[in-house]
Amino acid sequence: MIDRAASRPWTAFAWAVLLVAVVVALTPYLWIVLASFKTRVDLFSSAPKWLFSPTFANYPAVFIGKEYWPLAINSLIISLSSTALCILIGAPAAYVFARADFPGKEDLFFFFLTTRMAPPISIAVPLFLFFTSLGLIDTIYAVVIAHTSFNLSLVVWMMRGFFAEIPKEIDEAAVMDGRSRLGAFVFIIAPLAAPGIAATAVLCFILSWNEFLYAFILVAFEGRPLTVGIPGLVTPHGTLWGQVAAVAVVATLPILIFTFLVQRQLVRGLTFGAVKG
Amino acid sequence: MTSLPVTSNTSGKTRGAFLLDRGVGPLLVLPATILVVIFLVGPFYYMVYTALTDLSFADATRKGAFVGFDNFRRLMRDDPLFWNSFLLTLKFVVVAVAMEFVIGFALALLIFKYVVRQRLLTTLLLIPMMLAPVAVGLIWRLLLQGDFGMVIYYLRAVGLLAQNAAVLSQPDLVFPAIVAIDIWQWTPFVTLVMLAGLMSLPRSPFEAAMMDGAGPLRIFLDVMLPLLRPIIALVLLLRGIDAFKEFDKVFIMTGGGPGTLTELVSIYAYRVNFRNWDLGYGAAVAFMVYLVVLILCSVFYKAVYWSAKPSSGLPAGAKP
Repeated sequence: MIDRAASRPWTAFAWAVLLVAVVVALTPYLWIVLASFKTRVDLFSSAPKWLFSPTFANYPAVFIGKEYWPLAINSLIISLSSTALCILIGAPAAYVFARADFPGKEDLFFFFLTTRMAPPISIAVPLFLFFTSLGLIDTIYAVVIAHTSFNLSLVVWMMRGFFAEIPKEIDEAAVMDGRSRLGAFVFIIAPLAAPGIAATAVLCFILSWNEFLYAFILVAFEGRPLTVGIPGLVTPHGTLWGQVAAVAVVATLPILIFTFLVQRQLVRGLTFGAVKG
Repeated sequence: MTSLPVTSNTSGKTRGAFLLDRGVGPLLVLPATILVVIFLVGPFYYMVYTALTDLSFADATRKGAFVGFDNFRRLMRDDPLFWNSFLLTLKFVVVAVAMEFVIGFALALLIFKYVVRQRLLTTLLLIPMMLAPVAVGLIWRLLLQGDFGMVIYYLRAVGLLAQNAAVLSQPDLVFPAIVAIDIWQWTPFVTLVMLAGLMSLPRSPFEAAMMDGAGPLRIFLDVMLPLLRPIIALVLLLRGIDAFKEFDKVFIMTGGGPGTLTELVSIYAYRVNFRNWDLGYGAAVAFMVYLVVLILCSVFYKAVYWSAKPSSGLPAGAKP
C-alpha cells in the first residue's frame, strides 16, 4: 500500500474531483426519477425544472391505464425462474469443478467461459428458429431458458471460487462422520457458501432483469418483460416522457436496491472471479 | 487455510472423493453442460451452417441451398455497409474503452489515496453500470431532447453546444454522443476493478522503492503499473469484449441512425437478420462478430488465466 497521509490542498482537490464524478454519475438517473413525477408542463419547460409540485399520475396512467403492470410481473417471473434454475443446475456443477478431478475438467470449465462471451446477436437467429419450431416463441419459457443457459457460465465461474475458499478438510470430515459426498455438499458446504450463493443469485437476477436482446427477439407480445416494453412507449412525436420515466424507474429501482446488498461480491462476479472486490 | 492431517490426497482418497471424480462428479456437471450445449453451442453451429447457405425468409426461392463461401465473399468484397459498421464498432471500442480506462483509473487512484471510508462512494458510483442498458438509452434520449433536454440546456449555457438541436439526430454529434454515454455508464466499472486491484497490492515493493528514494512518478511507473498489469489487461479486455457486443443502448437511442452513422456491427447484424430476413448472409455477419469476440476472448484467457492453478478455483495470475 501507498502512503495515505497527504497534504490538505491535494485532499481538497481529490474530493472536488470525486464529487464532480459522483454528480455526473448520478444526475442523469436522478433526472429520470424526477421526470416520473412531473406533469407535461414541467417536463417540457425549456429551462430544467428542479423544483416543481409533484404529480403521481404518471405511474397509474402507464401501469394501469396502458396495462404495463403485467410486464413488470413478467420481468419478475422471468428473472426469478431463471435465477432459481441457474443456481439449482449451476451450484452442483461449480462444486464439482472446485473439488473433483476428472479428465478434461479444466477444458470443460474454460468451455463454460467461452459460452458466456458469445455475442447474443450471433445466436439470436438460431434460437429464434429453434423456439419457433418448439412452439415456445412468444412465451416466457423461451426467455427463461435463454437467460438460464446464458447466465449458467457465470454461476459456475463465480461459485467455483466460493466453494474453493472452503477448506477441503471440511468435506472430508463430514464424509468421515458418515455423510455421503452429496450429503456433505447439501448439508455442510452449501450452507457455508450461502453468502456466495446469495450474491451469485442476486447477480443472476440483475442480469436477467436487465437483459434486452434475447427477450426482444423471443417475445414480442405475450410474456414481454419491462425492458422490451419500454421502447414501445417512445413515439416519433408526442412521447409521454413522464410515463416513460415512470416505467424506467420501476425497471431500475429494484436492481439498485439489490446492488447495494451485494456490492462486495459484485466486482468479483463481473470479472468472472478474477478480482475480489 | 488450515490443513488438518485427516487424509492424504495423494495416496488414499476417501471413498466420497473417488465417487466425485468418477461417477457423480461428471454427472453433476451434466445438466449444466447439456443446457449450454443445446441452447448456446447448438445455435452457434447452426449459425455457422446457415452462413454457408442462401436461406432467406424474405425471398421464398432461397430455401437454404448450400452456397459455400458466397456469403463471406459478398461480405468481404461487396458490402460497404458491413465494413462501415465494423470499422465504426472498432472506433467505438477503442475510443470508449481508452477513455473509460484513463478516467476510471484516475478516479480509482484518487479514491485509493484520499478516501478512507470508500463504501458509500463506490456504492454511488455503481449506479450507472447497474441500470438496464435499455433504461440508460431512454434516460439519455430524454436528456438529449432538442427543446427540453436537461443536458442540452446546460451544454448550451456553458457554450459547448451552439444550437438547440437534438444531439442524437445531428450527424456530426451523434457518434461522440453514444461514445460519451458508454463512457458515462462504464467508467465506474473500471474504477471499481482498478480500486480492487490497488487494494490487493503488496506493501513491500513500494516501501523498498521509497527507501531507494524514488519519487512518486517513478514509483507509479516502475512499481505500481507492472504490479497492476494483469488487472489492467483484465479490465481492458472485459470492457473491449463488452463494447464490441454493444447493442441495447445504441439501438434504443438511435437505432443505428441517422443513416448508418451509429450502426454498430451488432445493429447491422440485427438489421440483416430481423429486418431484411436475409438469414444466410446475416449468419455470416453474425459469425464475424463472433470471430472478433472469440479472438479477444482467447487473448483474455491467455492474459488473465494463464498462470491459474488447476485446482485452486481462483486464477492465481489474476490476483497479484
